[in-house]
Amino acid sequence: MNHTDDTRKTSGWLRMITYLLRHRAIGLFLFIGLLTTVVSWINPAFLSGQNLRDIAVQAAPICIISCGVMLVLVAGEIDISVGSMMGVLAASMGIMVSASRAQLPPHVAIALTLLIGIGMGLFNGLLVAYVGVPSIIVTLGMLTALRGLTEIIMNGAWITDLPDEIRFLGTGTILSIPLSLWTTACVLAVTIWLIHRTPIGRRIYATGSNPQAAQLAGLSIKSIKLFVFAWTGLLTAVATLVSVPQLSVVDSGIGIGTELLVVTCVVVGGTSVNGGVGTLSGVLCGVALMTMISTVLIFLKLGEHATYWSRAIQGLFILGAILADHWISNHKK
Amino acid sequence: MKKSNPRKMHHRFVVLSLLAGITFIFTACSPTPPSDASSTQLVSKDNNKKKITICLIPKKKGLPYFTSCAEGAEEAAMELGNVELIYDGPTDGSPEKQASMIEQYTLKGVDVIAVSPNDPNVVAPALRKARARGIHVLSWDADAIQDSRDFFVNQATAEAIAHGMVDTMVKDLGGPKTKADVAIVTAYLTAANQNVWIEHMKTHIDQQYPHLNLVAIKPSDEDQKLAFKVTQDLMKAYPDIKGFFGISSVSFPGAAEAVKQAGKTGQVMVTGLATPNSMRSYVEGGTVKSVVLWNTAELGYLTIKVGEALATGKLKQGDTSFDAGKLGKKKIAGDQVLLGDILVFTKDNIHQYDF
Repeated sequence: MNHTDDTRKTSGWLRMITYLLRHRAIGLFLFIGLLTTVVSWINPAFLSGQNLRDIAVQAAPICIISCGVMLVLVAGEIDISVGSMMGVLAASMGIMVSASRAQLPPHVAIALTLLIGIGMGLFNGLLVAYVGVPSIIVTLGMLTALRGLTEIIMNGAWITDLPDEIRFLGTGTILSIPLSLWTTACVLAVTIWLIHRTPIGRRIYATGSNPQAAQLAGLSIKSIKLFVFAWTGLLTAVATLVSVPQLSVVDSGIGIGTELLVVTCVVVGGTSVNGGVGTLSGVLCGVALMTMISTVLIFLKLGEHATYWSRAIQGLFILGAILADHWISNHKK
Repeated sequence: MKKSNPRKMHHRFVVLSLLAGITFIFTACSPTPPSDASSTQLVSKDNNKKKITICLIPKKKGLPYFTSCAEGAEEAAMELGNVELIYDGPTDGSPEKQASMIEQYTLKGVDVIAVSPNDPNVVAPALRKARARGIHVLSWDADAIQDSRDFFVNQATAEAIAHGMVDTMVKDLGGPKTKADVAIVTAYLTAANQNVWIEHMKTHIDQQYPHLNLVAIKPSDEDQKLAFKVTQDLMKAYPDIKGFFGISSVSFPGAAEAVKQAGKTGQVMVTGLATPNSMRSYVEGGTVKSVVLWNTAELGYLTIKVGEALATGKLKQGDTSFDAGKLGKKKIAGDQVLLGDILVFTKDNIHQYDF
């Protein structure tokens, strides 16, 4: 997967980076392969269909949101508010459908949740693109503000009575494949189409790699930035809809830490925080690695004694993956 | 984000250092000031006596567990009449934010601070500072470092809670003769309460139930999704697991949902600590046979009673009992005021509770 379409007319250095990008995911991919081989040799149950399916379902919401955050990073901005957005979306969805609260029909609640997601994304985008506040500050502020809003919406109580129609979004299957995986496939397809087949995709990359040039070429940088934030808001809502109903209780802590996990996946997957660079295949490898690592640790059966150092091992794995990728890319030059 | 020269973009270390920067911003993220609209002020009507301001700080605001404690606290404040109750805490369970809240309420000049510490070591300096300024400090629900507080209002001894959970599990599994692997899904690995319970659970298992084999202890970081995920993984990695302890109000429903979705209701037992409302559907559906907890409203009530007595000089170090109003006389063991025993919710009695 690559985005060579938009770089036809570019100079040598960009072509070289594009070449590297095309193979950006290889290091990560090999590392994931190695990890899988080792763990399934120690514990063959790792490769069971049920386990792979569970890992995929766990990865689904992270993957969906990453498709948005990656484009934000490619456009040269950052969004670290998605965790709290999830909180607000889960809380408002819960309130809307709960039998003891608003009791809205599920399809209305779903539509409203998507709209709230877009709304929050647009708000981020407006502050960044039109007011000119740096995105790290806007979204850091939103991270705190929206978590507060979640608390206000929930008012100290949890939602424990989600109706079956909503639970179906998180636990249901179509042709024995979980709904969240179908949704992820759709989101990936749309994102690929957006990046490779629409002018918007090319403009996002152009904006991130050289904003001055993009501006001179007549692109509206502001509307492009607004778009990527709104898109992230929408995808966060989609991820919330397919992941939160997996659990029976909507608590006020839903989504905490998701922003960091998503940014880590996207950056580990080779997206540059300076903008202009990022591939979906790399991000997918990043998501796969970050999701499988904690499962791998449990399957290694380190036992009760490993309670305190398993997190350090987790960190070492991530570092190992990045170094492997770095090393392979260097040797390609 | 400042834009740098695109030519330097392939310098990965820039990426990595920025990632480190983001992490730093997260951990150093400034705390919410406690004075804003998010703090709940519950003022009682009676103004004749000298007002005593008690600041009740939970581990995390917005947990129904603590909300139900706060309801009991409010009742005590109303009953006493001379107490102004402030209920405020971090929304994310961060020990650092809790510490800075304690400092800010110290500066505000409250009479009593009652805190359920997320991490006793992190809040200890702030609590010592408060005591140095003449503020009475209580820990409630979870203990603080001993020299950083006057009394600990303890819901039940750690031993009683830990033994209660293990005994309940053994009973649900079919008696002490049943051979079974079990695992614990805890809150944070630094959570003082949970760690003390785990220690007591381990000793109790070693001494009483040789057939029970503890294979793993996993943190859920107070994230239901993570509790769900580790439970799911543990069941596959250790196919002989017959029981899960969900020892926080977030990890318990997460673990129960994982067992239910794996279709192991009845084969794998789940027990632990949680509020009855969040576990009701599992208890009624049979995935969970028993939920262990204590009377949370009474815990909040007792904390405020103790706080008021301390501030007015009615309670002193060395007392061995305490008159807790509607709760009757409560025992004081050393510097711990004991609420009493654990409550076990089952199919038969869970309908009587709503919190």
